[in-house]
Amino acid sequence: MKKFTILFVCLLLMGFSSLLGQEIQVTGTVTDKTDGGPLPGVSVVVKGTVTGTATDVSGKYSITVPSDASLIFSSIGMKTQDIPVNGRTEINVLMEQEIGELDEVVVTALGVSRAKKSLGYSVQEVDGDQLNTVKSDNFINALSGKAAGVNIRSTGNLGGSTNVTIRGSRSLYGSNQALFVIDGVPINNANTNNDGQVSGRSGYDFGNSASDINPNDIASISILKGAAATALYGERASNGVIMITTKKGSVTPGKLIGVTLNSNVTFGTIDKSTFPTYQKKYGAGYGPYYGDAPYTGLESIDINDDGVDELVVPMYEDASYGQAYDPSLMVYHYDAFYPESPYYGQARPWIMAKNDPTTFFETAVSYTNSIDVSGGNEKSTFRLGYTNLSQTGVMPNSKLDRNNVSLNGSYNLVKNLKVSASANYINESAKGRNSTGYSDNILSSFRQWYELNVDVQEQKDLYDNTGKNMSWNRTAWDDGTPIYWDNPYWVRYENYESDGRDRLIGYTQLDWTATSWLSFMGRFSVDSYNTLQEERKAVGSVAGELGVDRPDVTSGYSRFSRVFAETNLDMMANINKSFGENLTLTAFIGTNIRRTRLDQVFESTNGGLSVPEVYALSNSANPMLPPEEDLQRVGVNGYFGSVSLDFKGLIFLDGTFRRDISSTLPKDNWGYNYPSISTSFLFSELVDASWLSFGKLRLSYAEVGSGAPWGSVDDTYRPYAPFAGNPLVSVDNTKNNQDLKPERTKSIEGGLAMNFLKSRVGFDLSLYQTNTVDLITPVAVSYATGYSSKYLNAGEMENKGIELTLNLTPVRMSGFVWDISFNWARNMNKVKSLALGLENLRINPISLQGGVSVNARVGEPYGAIQGSDFVYEETTGRPIVRSNGYYELTGTSDIVLGTIQPDWTGGILNTFAYKNISLRALIDIQHGGSIFSLDQWYGQGTGLYPETVFINDLGNQVRNANDADGGGGLILDGVTEDGTQNTTRIEGNDYRYAGWARNPNSAFIYDASYVKLRELSLTYDLPIKILSNTPIYGASLSLVGSNLWIIFKNLPYADPEAGQSSGNTQGWQSGVMPATRRYGVSLKVQF
Amino acid sequence: MKNKYIIILVLTTLLASCTKNFEDFNTDKKRPADVTGEALFSNAIKNLADQLTTPNVNLNIFNLWAQYWTETTYTDEANYDIVNRTIADNTYRAFYRDILEDLQKASVLIALEEATVINTQAAIDNKLRVIDMIQAYCYQILVDVFGDVPYTEALDIENISPVYDDAATIYSNLITRVKADVSGMTVDDGTNLGSADFIYDGDAEAWVKFGNTLLVKLGITLSDVNPSLAQTTVEDAYAGAFESGEDNANFPYLGSSPNTNQIYAELVLTGRNDFVGANTLVDMMNGLSDPRLPSYFTTIDGEYIGGDYGESSPYSQYSHVADHIKDPTFPGFLLTYDQLLFYLAEGAARGWSVGGSASELYTDAITASFDLWNAGSAENYISSAGVAWDAANWKSLIGVQSWIAFYVRGLEGYTQWRRFDVPTFNIAPSIETESDIPVRFTYPINEQTLNKTNRQNAADAIGGDELTTHIFWDVN
Repeated sequence: MKKFTILFVCLLLMGFSSLLGQEIQVTGTVTDKTDGGPLPGVSVVVKGTVTGTATDVSGKYSITVPSDASLIFSSIGMKTQDIPVNGRTEINVLMEQEIGELDEVVVTALGVSRAKKSLGYSVQEVDGDQLNTVKSDNFINALSGKAAGVNIRSTGNLGGSTNVTIRGSRSLYGSNQALFVIDGVPINNANTNNDGQVSGRSGYDFGNSASDINPNDIASISILKGAAATALYGERASNGVIMITTKKGSVTPGKLIGVTLNSNVTFGTIDKSTFPTYQKKYGAGYGPYYGDAPYTGLESIDINDDGVDELVVPMYEDASYGQAYDPSLMVYHYDAFYPESPYYGQARPWIMAKNDPTTFFETAVSYTNSIDVSGGNEKSTFRLGYTNLSQTGVMPNSKLDRNNVSLNGSYNLVKNLKVSASANYINESAKGRNSTGYSDNILSSFRQWYELNVDVQEQKDLYDNTGKNMSWNRTAWDDGTPIYWDNPYWVRYENYESDGRDRLIGYTQLDWTATSWLSFMGRFSVDSYNTLQEERKAVGSVAGELGVDRPDVTSGYSRFSRVFAETNLDMMANINKSFGENLTLTAFIGTNIRRTRLDQVFESTNGGLSVPEVYALSNSANPMLPPEEDLQRVGVNGYFGSVSLDFKGLIFLDGTFRRDISSTLPKDNWGYNYPSISTSFLFSELVDASWLSFGKLRLSYAEVGSGAPWGSVDDTYRPYAPFAGNPLVSVDNTKNNQDLKPERTKSIEGGLAMNFLKSRVGFDLSLYQTNTVDLITPVAVSYATGYSSKYLNAGEMENKGIELTLNLTPVRMSGFVWDISFNWARNMNKVKSLALGLENLRINPISLQGGVSVNARVGEPYGAIQGSDFVYEETTGRPIVRSNGYYELTGTSDIVLGTIQPDWTGGILNTFAYKNISLRALIDIQHGGSIFSLDQWYGQGTGLYPETVFINDLGNQVRNANDADGGGGLILDGVTEDGTQNTTRIEGNDYRYAGWARNPNSAFIYDASYVKLRELSLTYDLPIKILSNTPIYGASLSLVGSNLWIIFKNLPYADPEAGQSSGNTQGWQSGVMPATRRYGVSLKVQF
Repeated sequence: MKNKYIIILVLTTLLASCTKNFEDFNTDKKRPADVTGEALFSNAIKNLADQLTTPNVNLNIFNLWAQYWTETTYTDEANYDIVNRTIADNTYRAFYRDILEDLQKASVLIALEEATVINTQAAIDNKLRVIDMIQAYCYQILVDVFGDVPYTEALDIENISPVYDDAATIYSNLITRVKADVSGMTVDDGTNLGSADFIYDGDAEAWVKFGNTLLVKLGITLSDVNPSLAQTTVEDAYAGAFESGEDNANFPYLGSSPNTNQIYAELVLTGRNDFVGANTLVDMMNGLSDPRLPSYFTTIDGEYIGGDYGESSPYSQYSHVADHIKDPTFPGFLLTYDQLLFYLAEGAARGWSVGGSASELYTDAITASFDLWNAGSAENYISSAGVAWDAANWKSLIGVQSWIAFYVRGLEGYTQWRRFDVPTFNIAPSIETESDIPVRFTYPINEQTLNKTNRQNAADAIGGDELTTHIFWDVN
């Protein structure tokens, strides 16, 4: 912060140049061209200066200006006008309303700017301001709810990955993630999480690398959804493209530079509706079988050799199905056996803990500070931006820092020859990301395996005071080794991960306008990064997976390093020629030469650390296992051409063609071609009706081809650590394929866009169908083949959908505007066929805990969640209960229980602007989709949740003993095999009835729908009048909030969006983070 | 116009030159494309030993199902839940993908070896026979666990829907195969496997004994269902089988991971306390005052106490696995002399000619077990009540004693229980009667989805894909 203050003062002292000239006073009235009424609140600013005023209630203004100045008139919803004074003293202005799409220019594939009306396919733009007001540590998350058909799913992990799919899933096994392109440079969005992390075993979510982009640098985002829009990007663009245009320096006469400062601070707290609410009546244990009656939920042990048994908590259990609390009962808790504990040797009342795991979370604080200097003249422009993000998470000892420096500039070397360059350096470091998945994750303890008599703050005190792993989960009263769970503070402060990334994204570009109709462009771009991820486990921890081959170890250190570089060389020749008045031809041909290189090593200690607290490979207790190394190089040569015809501004016709040669395919099949054709018809040009402002019909067809993942052609063997000096090798688990063909996506799209009533009402409707065929997939095969999977061109997937965006301006009156922007999308995905007559493919790379799987199943939407179910009696349709009182379960686990695909998604953005104040509220909606909750599967079984404590049909506590005295237990709702009502009473005092042990997976499948108040902001722009005598050109102050309120959801105690990672394994939750509500303030000052 | 030509020239150059390295790009520089068959063989043997010794509940739960051990807190596997952790899938994966496929590929590569003065054609052929015997050993396990399994069409990636073969036919075929391997071995030529053979260091003669012992194991398993084949197989093979504990096929684990015994990896390295002795075994041994108890278990206050099978059993209250078993170098038992003697005792009791009387062989078997476990003299034990030979009661005696002797070899113990139905197993809480105790694994979930028709046909053929469907040899 200090740096900024100094810089700020310097800039103030420097002062700013303003044009000198003869000063005259100008007056006038501003009126609405449509109804002739006066327009109050219109900003009137002297161009290139900070001098300005605003019109009064009768639309009048008065301002003193140099006689040769220009005046800029601007108002929300109106076209801005730039009027030279030319010595006049009275200037009356007629202001016209903005008519959306007619004039809009959007950025399309390869960075080509096009009039939106001329496009035969759907492109949606998101303005940079929309991403910047309410900041997110990952700009991708800020897209959520803002664009139709773009499905954003953030995991909730600190700096975690975000799943971005556009118009559904196209690939069975490969990436379904959109391609990110920044100023024409495709950037790597890899997620380095391993299979174990993705499949929810254990590990950290290191995020995906597109999050490196600084939202503050973004001027706008274009979302290219269909294949026609993306065909020129070639193979990687079949999942849609998110095109980012960054801010550039601009030429402002009379002003050398402009400076913008932005400062944002937000606070985050957990949303308690996404974290467990615990039952309050029972403590540690799995059932009534530890000690002597009547306290069978507690152990009876003579701990002090006085000949009398004491009551001891079964501290080695990680469940809360134990003894009912009773404050008069004095028991020995775990902490009675640590000499360092203030309760050492003391018996204490048997009561619920004062501080439950909710108190484990801290307030997250995030600062974003940026400075942005830009300027230019007739020959050159530049922009320099610096942003620092400094963030702590809700988990103790977690933080993330990111620095972005970006510099771009252009220079006209000679007439018609412009050189431009951009460099973006990013440095990110994180420490203490949260663990994810089932094992070795504090949150899976809090959600699945915990003793509710344990006070979290006591755990904190014990760790803080001793620095030792004093866990609540001792092996036994006389053995202090933690058995299943460490002290959670020990985990956060000792077993933390750390990671960092240094990245450079940049380009140099040459533009040459050879003649009025012919120009050339050449660009060389690079995206390169180094990343290092280190994991630690301190000596004295509970064993958990760590390192090469992920064995369970009680201490260790691992490091994963990756060096990645991608270069692109693009060359294009452009033709733009009019043939008479009615026909304009735009065409280009070009080439794209892409090379990527990925070099990574994963290595770890073996068998633990030899000296505690030294996290170095050389500190390995046993000789290290061979590291896992990968070197992957990919080359793609693309050649493309495009022809666009504009006939009278009425009909537009586009055709493109591209040929790719991809190194990842077998030589005989490595070249492939694909075309696209699209047309746009502006029928409103033919209709002269005042109610119709704009009308366009569009139609397109496109194909996109795609190569294979690296290394899927030739077979190799997998080496293992040698045994007594003898090499061990194994046949690889995946059989490669020397006959692979390119994958193809074929897409057809139609659309209608219309604006009415001077664009106060408008909609844009798209209908599309996409079929992807010859999907390259490592098809899971029967292990009896000797392999787990085999690369095949396997099958076909179809996505059909409808997207609608609707813009309304219900109110537009003097000084007040209310805009509603609404988007809605429904995508229907279906797996049409699989190779070789297969009916099903498992998507999750390794088995998911709980026995469910995520699948591509013929006839079902991609991502079918399969597992076991109840067996339903035929005549009554009700679940069958066996004679032992528990449900009968299906013998197989291939019952389709749900899908990861939502039915539809939508967003509603309301903007209210009154004079200088604007209020924005974004509501984000997902309807449908399913989640299997491992948290509930186990957590109900361990008795953590209030659902496991209730009054039964006999009027007694269900957890009472199922006998005449207790009157506990319950009768499951169902029928016996002959269809009669079940009457068998089962025990309600142990872990079996409610959780995993006797219930099918289907009992823990939840609807993933939600309605969220995603963003809320209130912005006040300081009136130009107040600023007119200061060097400040504009200033605004915003109160911002994100994820403030989950208005509706069906999943208990968790956020339906939360998950392990980005990728295809979705719809399964274990130990997920609670959602974080963020609120704060943002200040923007421009000089 | 000149500029146009420059552009065209540049484009043409790029077109021509840029794919030159493409094949190289797609070549893996970090993993070998060519290896020796021996390295694959070594890996397969290690994977086999690991799979047999591991008590990891995701991989091998037979020490539980044999009721040698029970689980402390998480009792799902002792209660016969194999779905939650996809244990059947993992078993297929371990045997077919991680063992049999490597053996198969090793055979292919070794068959391509060129004969030299040192690596003679006979030695090459011997290697192939050793590999074939290990494959047979694995297939017997697969049949004993599942019943019908893919066999004739297995291990062929060109056929991703392999049919299941009839289990009895597989057995006969395995016997034929191993007989051919044994008789074809030219002992004088060795195997040239050398140190790549962790079991016998390339000793062809030892492998002949192994093959004969395996034939006895295959044959004896058929004794209730195909007595004639069982008898001829055992009678033909016994004389060439193991002659002492020295001949045991033991995997010599090393002191540091990942080459330690998997019992050590799971019981010591993980720091978990998931298993205690089950009351089924502990009570039986207590009743017989079995001197092997200290070799098998630890004591609690000087006593051996087993947890009630399938019930929650606090770790601190029950006997644990004996410490020497948890040593990293505790060997992995693939096939042992005491095992052979129990099989032969059974053959003799059935009236077959196997080189000794049932009583002698029974005595030798128990003695060999005591030797294996360093439990001192077996003499008093063998003559004690409940152990002493009684020809009228041979099934029960051999059944119980072999079950006790096969401790930590869960699958072999479980198989003996399935064949003899002794001792009486405890009924875990998840089931109701003795007839509910599982006698096989259900087929993997993967097979339900990936090899649907063939799995369904197999399920029909064996009488339903249930945990309670008997393996074809389990007729009594």
